[in-house]
Amino acid sequence: MTKWQIFKNGVFNENPTFRLVLGMCPTLAVTTAMVNGLGMGIATTLVLTGSNVIIALLRKVIPKEIRIPAYIVVIATFTTIIDKTMAASMPDLHRVLGIFIPLIVVNCIVLARAEAFASKHNALDAAVDGLGMGMGFTLALTLLSSIRELVGTGTLLKATDFGFEGFALFPEDLGAKLLILPPGAFITLGLLLAGINWLVARKEEKAHD
Amino acid sequence: MGKSEWRLIMVLTVICVVSGGVLGWVNALTAPVIKAQEELAKQRALQEALPAATTFVEEKEFLGKTESSGRTGIVEVYRAYDDAEAKGFVFIVDQKGYGGPIRMVIGVTATGNLSGVKVISHSETPGLGAKITDAQFLTQPAFREAKAGMALAVTKDKGEVDAIASATISSRAVVHGVNAALSAAQSLLEVEATNGGVDVD
Repeated sequence: MTKWQIFKNGVFNENPTFRLVLGMCPTLAVTTAMVNGLGMGIATTLVLTGSNVIIALLRKVIPKEIRIPAYIVVIATFTTIIDKTMAASMPDLHRVLGIFIPLIVVNCIVLARAEAFASKHNALDAAVDGLGMGMGFTLALTLLSSIRELVGTGTLLKATDFGFEGFALFPEDLGAKLLILPPGAFITLGLLLAGINWLVARKEEKAHD
Repeated sequence: MGKSEWRLIMVLTVICVVSGGVLGWVNALTAPVIKAQEELAKQRALQEALPAATTFVEEKEFLGKTESSGRTGIVEVYRAYDDAEAKGFVFIVDQKGYGGPIRMVIGVTATGNLSGVKVISHSETPGLGAKITDAQFLTQPAFREAKAGMALAVTKDKGEVDAIASATISSRAVVHGVNAALSAAQSLLEVEATNGGVDVD
């Protein structure tokens, strides 16, 4: 596989959220506003890329019996580094994403890529895979959160913590509040998954004809 | 134990020691910056609650007494000064909201007027309870005209504060926080009145 194919695989063919349906906990929890979705996606991408590289470099050193604890230690280390760095340099975003950053440790996408890709490929390919998967995750979270924020509150990219009012597209009172509440996460995600499955099925059908 | 088991132990130990070392280093680099950021954010919040003051001195003694008096939720109390002139008090108050604790900063001037309410952290529902951070709610007349010793209530509880639509629990939590601060300010001001003013040393 070329680097481009590896990257594209993570963003589209094996998109962690829409195709692999991994990491649902942060996906459902943080996507109430576009800024949160975007921030969570970027933080996960950094952890994923970093841990993928280290695990690929160590793949011949780590015996297979202890690979899972070894991966978890590497992932937890990267997550803590990101957490501390964010708290020091971007306190506002850190306050918003606060409790979700430590949870990147248990995000199954990160462990899944360590196990399924990084442990079998060289460091460069693993970095590209981490970036691609991270981009796929970021895109999915951004799409989901923009729909929820727009339909739920009538704004886009509102980030009062950063002093940015966002784009108000219609008055907030007309918003369907349900979408920013927990059930709205399931409904939106379900509809998006159905839509994407339908598109993929149609594409495959065409390929068969 | 066989040779391979020793290898397992060695590899995992080395990985843990290295990551521990890296984390220690990162922590040493970021800890002072994080602390400074928190200090800065707090200073900014205090300033916003009582714009007339420039320096804030923590008042620890009062806090012990307030526990027993039924005013729950006050976490920190600050005496506010501009140069040596007493400008009032700032309270950091925690109240239970709908989605978790709500932490707010509330300022009361030396004349007993509520000077500002600011929510610094909360986990209320976005679009509903999260509107407690909006200026429209926090600077409404009921809050602007509040005085030390008053007990406010939301309109649903026959009070004067306009609650956020469909977020009565969140609005009520803010009102409770304000009440705690107003009542604490009342007793602090009373003490000062009997002592004949504040002595600044």
